[in-house]
Amino acid sequence: MADLLHAFIAGSFDLLLRIFLIVVPIMVVLELFEGTRPFRAVVRAWARVVRHVGLNERSAAPTLIGFLFGLAYGGGVIVRDIRRHDLGRRQVFIMSTFLSMVHAIAEDSLVFIALGASVFWVVAYRIVWAALVTLALTAVATVVVRRWKA
Amino acid sequence: MEHTGDDPTTARPAATPGPPSAAAAPGTASGEPSPQPAPGLGARLRRDLRIGVKAGLQTFWELARVMIPAYGVTLVLERLGVIQWLAHLARPLMSLFGLPGDAAVPVMVGYVLNIYAAVGSMQALHLSAREITVLAIAILIGHSLLVEGAVLHKAGMNGFAFGALRVVAGLAAAAVANLLMGLF
Repeated sequence: MADLLHAFIAGSFDLLLRIFLIVVPIMVVLELFEGTRPFRAVVRAWARVVRHVGLNERSAAPTLIGFLFGLAYGGGVIVRDIRRHDLGRRQVFIMSTFLSMVHAIAEDSLVFIALGASVFWVVAYRIVWAALVTLALTAVATVVVRRWKA
Repeated sequence: MEHTGDDPTTARPAATPGPPSAAAAPGTASGEPSPQPAPGLGARLRRDLRIGVKAGLQTFWELARVMIPAYGVTLVLERLGVIQWLAHLARPLMSLFGLPGDAAVPVMVGYVLNIYAAVGSMQALHLSAREITVLAIAILIGHSLLVEGAVLHKAGMNGFAFGALRVVAGLAAAAVANLLMGLF
């Protein structure tokens, strides 16, 4: 029991430190560069890609953060943007589904690539799979919500 | 409150304006485009920095509040031997993915703990490159279900439903990949 508590405290500290060291810089960098031309160009380019799974320009930035850095950090930005301007449940649903399937594209993938997994299957195949699952689930959810509300 | 379509952008004037003042006061979602006299670069930097740090700390706190309890539950599940028990149950299913029964252990370790722990337990097994790839697909889609589910919950989604989705969709992706790899 005592060692469990010890593990919990040590692990929590580790986790907190990691979230802190990633979340605070991400938020500061976002705040500083969100309005700048290069940042907007990147987001707009990314928005043109994720438009195909049903995400709008406003959801593009949180999705990009999640895609690159991880679900927790993308989730943090999603929560921030929900607070700032209502993204809409539909957009949050699509983002969550897509990011559930693929996130932290570099870090997570590299862990397995280092072990000998194929880059193609771990990266390209997974992104295609994520897009297909997102499209399918959004279609189902749309029908369900419509039926439920009717 | 139900939003079915894309939210109308009526609340905000532009697509990506500068840092809205709404950040300072959570809850006031529709920040009005308060007419500010164009501040100098230094003042603007300081203001953005302040808002950024504030948003960072707020997000940190929100994530910590849900992730730490989820992490605690994870540790207890591990200590109770739930991972081994789940792996034992899943053993016979592994042949569906062209994997040996032992591969159920890293999958369950990944679901409950995280991908690093999963990779650690993979190293104990002797797997071919193809088996590693198939296993990687399943684990990359479904992992850290409790902690990341807590984050999705924070975003207003059902963490359990998304956990289930990641398990099912991840295993399906692995099965399809295994079949496709067999063709080529």
